[in-house]
Amino acid sequence: MRTNAMSDIFHRRPRTNAFVALLAFALAAPLSAQWIKYPTFGIPRTPDGKPDLTAPAPKLPDGKPDLSGLWHQSNGVKYTVNLAADLKPTDVPYQPATEALYKQHQDSISKDDPVGYCNFPGIPQMEAVPYPYKFMNAPGMIVILYEAFHTYRQIFMDGRELPKDPNPTWMGYSVGRWDGDTLVVDSAGFNDKSWLDSGGRPHSEALHVTERFTRRDFGHMNLQITIDDPKAYTKPWTVSYGITLMPDTEMIEYVCNENNKDTPHLVGK
Amino acid sequence: MRRLLAAIVLTGASLHAQWFDIKTPGIPRTADGKPDLAAPAPKTPDGKPDLSGTWDADRSYLVNIAKDLKEVPMRPAALELFNQRKDGGRAKEEPDANCLPQGVPKIDAAPVPWKLIQGPREVMILYEAFTLFREIFTDGRELPKDPNPTWLGYSVGHWDGDALVVESNGFNGKTWLDQSGHPTSDALHVTERFRRKDFGHLELEITIDDPKMYTQPWTVKESPRLLADTELLEFNCNENERDVRHIP
Repeated sequence: MRTNAMSDIFHRRPRTNAFVALLAFALAAPLSAQWIKYPTFGIPRTPDGKPDLTAPAPKLPDGKPDLSGLWHQSNGVKYTVNLAADLKPTDVPYQPATEALYKQHQDSISKDDPVGYCNFPGIPQMEAVPYPYKFMNAPGMIVILYEAFHTYRQIFMDGRELPKDPNPTWMGYSVGRWDGDTLVVDSAGFNDKSWLDSGGRPHSEALHVTERFTRRDFGHMNLQITIDDPKAYTKPWTVSYGITLMPDTEMIEYVCNENNKDTPHLVGK
Repeated sequence: MRRLLAAIVLTGASLHAQWFDIKTPGIPRTADGKPDLAAPAPKTPDGKPDLSGTWDADRSYLVNIAKDLKEVPMRPAALELFNQRKDGGRAKEEPDANCLPQGVPKIDAAPVPWKLIQGPREVMILYEAFTLFREIFTDGRELPKDPNPTWLGYSVGHWDGDALVVESNGFNGKTWLDQSGHPTSDALHVTERFRRKDFGHLELEITIDDPKMYTQPWTVKESPRLLADTELLEFNCNENERDVRHIP
C-alpha cells in the first residue's frame, strides 16, 4: 500500500542521512509501477502497442498545446529534497534571515517539515514530489489533480488577474496564460508555512511563483520555475526540470492522515 | 451531544459566507445582473446536460442522511453500531473529525461547496471539504472487479436520459454515511443520480446498497443549489484543527 507514505519520502536530506535517503528512493521506486492498469485514451502507439512518447505534442481544437495527461517528475526525490539541486549553493540568493532559517531546518533534519504533519506541500513542491498528477482541460481553466494528498489546483485561464489581497493559503492562487506554446502560470497568495522543498528552503508570504510548462513532445514536458520572493531572496532565481507522461494507469487514493508513520521519526538530531 | 452536532453544523454554516467575489462566466442573469437560477439547464455541445458548476451541498443531510425516511433497513450489526454512534458517544471515531475523508456520499452533503467539471471522458468533482477531488470515469469502463479499498471509492458514470448515473465501489468500510453514524462496509455500492432541474438546482438521488450492513438498498434525495459568483476556498483540515479535542 502506498496510501500515505509521501512524508516518508519527503524530508530527509541525502547529505546528512544517506541511509534514509536510500530508503526514500526505495520507497519511491515502486511508485512508477502503479497497479491500476488502464489504457490511456488517445495516446499514439508504436506498432507493438507501446505508447509512443516521442510522437508530436497534441493540440487543442483552438490550436493551443494540449497539456492534458498524467505526468510525473521522473527524478525520484532529487528536486523534492532540494529544489536547487542543479544550482551551485552560492547561486541561491538568500536574504540573511532566510539562509539562517534554511540552515536551522537542515541542521534539525527537517523535523519541522509541515508535510510530515500532513499539510499541503505547496507550490512549487507539489510538482516535484514523486507522485503523479493529472492535467485536465476545463472551460476557462486548467485543473491539476495531484495524487499526493489527493488534492487539486485550479489554474484560471479566463484572463482574470491575481487577487490584490489574497487569502494566504498553502497552495496559492494561480492564473495562467499562453506564451507561444508555453503555459505560463503565475501564483501568489501563499502563507509562509510551506517549504519550497523538503530540505527546508523557506519563503515568505510575498512569494510569487512563475511556472512555465512546455510540452516538448507527447511524453515529455519542461518545467521552468522562478521563485520571486523579495522578503526571502535578494533576487528571483530559476530552476528547471523535466516531467514525463505516465501512460496506461490512473492515480491511486492517497490519504496522508491514515496511518502516517512519519511524525514519530521527525525528531531532529 | 446534540448540541455538539449543532455546533459542527453551525461552524460549517459560516463557511458559506465565502469571500471570493468573482462573476462566474456563463451564468444567465436577470435584468438587474443577478444570476437567473431558474433559467433552463445548460447543455454541452454534444447535447448532453451540462452539470458543471459550483454546487452548495445540501447540508441538511449531513447529520442524518436518512432524515426523510421512516426506517432504514439495517441488519442487527449495523443497528448496534448505529445505536452506539447516534447519541454522539463514538463521535471521536468519526473519520472527518480526525481529518480523514468523509467518504461518498457523506462528502456530497458537507457544509462546504463542491465544483463539478464535466469533461468529455471524465467528470471531476473538486470538493472544498478537505480540498479533495473525485474522478468519475465516463469513458465506458466498468467498475473494477477487485478494487483497492479507499475512502472515496472508484467511480464510473453513464447517462440515463438527462441524469448522470454514477456508480461507485471500492470503499474501505471505515466511512460513515452521516454524523449520526449510519455505517458502511467494504461491500458498499453507491449509486448517485445527478439531474440538473434548471440552471440553479440539482437533484441528487443517492442509493445505498451495502448487503453486509443493510437488508436491501435504500434511497434518499438531496437538492444541491448552484453557488454563483464565488470560488472554492482552500480547506486544510490539518491546520489548526480544533474539533477533536472537544469531542468527548
